[in-house]
Amino acid sequence: MTRADPEYGHLIPLLEEYAATDSDDPRRETLRAELVTGFLPVAQHIARRFSNRGEPLDDLVQVATVGLINAVDRFSPERGSDFFSFAVPTISGEVRRHFRDLGWSMRVPRRLKDMHVSINGVVAELSQSLGRAPKPTEIAERLGVPVTEVLEGLEASEAYRSSSLDEMLSSEQGSATVGELVGGADAELDRVDFRQALRPALADLAPRERTIVLLRFFGNMTQTQIAQEVGISQMHVSRLLTQTLDRLRSRLDPETRVG
Amino acid sequence: MSDAESLDGMSTVEVRTSATAALIPTIRAVASDLAARADFDLDAISDLRMAVDEACATLVDAADPTSQLLCRFLVRPERIRVHAQVESAKPDTVLSTDTFGWRVLQTLADEVEVLHEPASAGRPATVGIRLDKTAGDVPR
Amino acid sequence: MSHAAEDDAFGAGLPLDTAIARPRPDVVLLEVDGEVDTLTAPRLAARLDEALDTADADGSTVVADLSGVTFLASSGLAALINAARRATGSGRRLHVVAATRAVSRPMQVTGVDALFDTHTDVDSALAGLQRPTPPDVASPARGVGR
Repeated sequence: MTRADPEYGHLIPLLEEYAATDSDDPRRETLRAELVTGFLPVAQHIARRFSNRGEPLDDLVQVATVGLINAVDRFSPERGSDFFSFAVPTISGEVRRHFRDLGWSMRVPRRLKDMHVSINGVVAELSQSLGRAPKPTEIAERLGVPVTEVLEGLEASEAYRSSSLDEMLSSEQGSATVGELVGGADAELDRVDFRQALRPALADLAPRERTIVLLRFFGNMTQTQIAQEVGISQMHVSRLLTQTLDRLRSRLDPETRVG
Repeated sequence: MSDAESLDGMSTVEVRTSATAALIPTIRAVASDLAARADFDLDAISDLRMAVDEACATLVDAADPTSQLLCRFLVRPERIRVHAQVESAKPDTVLSTDTFGWRVLQTLADEVEVLHEPASAGRPATVGIRLDKTAGDVPR
Repeated sequence: MSHAAEDDAFGAGLPLDTAIARPRPDVVLLEVDGEVDTLTAPRLAARLDEALDTADADGSTVVADLSGVTFLASSGLAALINAARRATGSGRRLHVVAATRAVSRPMQVTGVDALFDTHTDVDSALAGLQRPTPPDVASPARGVGR
């Protein structure tokens, strides 16, 4: 890192150590959890900046945390750039992707999405047999639906409804954002020895919550995979993770508050 | 197919907007819709949509700021003709056909033509583009 | 860099979203969603320049993910061509992910697809790129033309 930073400076040697650790080294997962928890305020800060768009902050923090995990995993210290320059766009990219997927999900009725998928399914095959792109009537006949439905489906795939993402975190403003993060970062988290504090905190969690945290940070499972493993819905995993992380942070520093 | 779903005879659709780039997406949507209802193949629909966009963008660029953009679609079963027009920014405005955009337009449309109308009594000078697109494939 | 005046008739914001991400240290991924026309093409051009600036600085490869693009006008093609030329100037190839007819048709019809390595999805674009320190035999960068 190019800035001497009291908030996150202690994590830099850990980043280097993590990048140098083999995938089968048991220390790897501990380092990873420590890094993710240490940089968590960065993900929360980014999530908060998107919080005025009608999406629950919990969900945005979860999405941003996924981005943070990816950034920690993919960062190469030897490349010479500092971690924030890499992590901030990676995290905000994850949040934007979330909105992009949502934009489509929320604004297009189910039946049009299904029609869109059906159309795509037959277009390649029809193009092959016709030797040219198919016509709407040909698609309709192949699908066995009225052509009006195909016309609606085609129209839906052409329209894009922006969720009005502003570019607060575009990289031209990235250094200002990074400056904010580094200068005014959350001072809530005490700089206690992470491992010592975390183990009893983890031990105090209910078995299911502990399992979920371990699977997420130590086992690198997605929420969906965890949901399948534990036998609950992905939404439920998401909420439990948020609550659990809050509790862990409170355990590490009673003054800590999220959101 | 009923008339509501298809265009078997000739139909005329006219769209009039302020000459601003922000309203061109609406005109594109009309172009796509008409070509789809005329049962053009998906590539021809895409080509017409892009050609109409190109024509409108070129004209908006050359238009008087207070002008309207008039876009008229003549739809026949195997062919759509589009005539787009604006009031020129200056009486001697001439559309350049030596641009990348114009070459793209020529590739997408089967026929394309610039129309300049000088000012006459009570009517300002206009500049327009006429293009034709048939339902079949554009050769590479 | 400048943005074109945002002429917004409906107060909905520009119908183009862009984001730069780093899925790998050797890749700069520019994700583009929405419509690229005379109004939004300047933004695409600016973001392509940003991505190329980053790539020039750290030697990574730029992948433009256009799989969410629903319309591509000639101004968008021009932005892509300029970016391809700039990449070639640095001895590199620009990769484009094109998954919709709205992108692949104009690129084919104008012959512009010859300027890029094109792919149908991001994963195959990334898989085809040589990693910086490959653990096993390196696979050469591949382009899949459409």
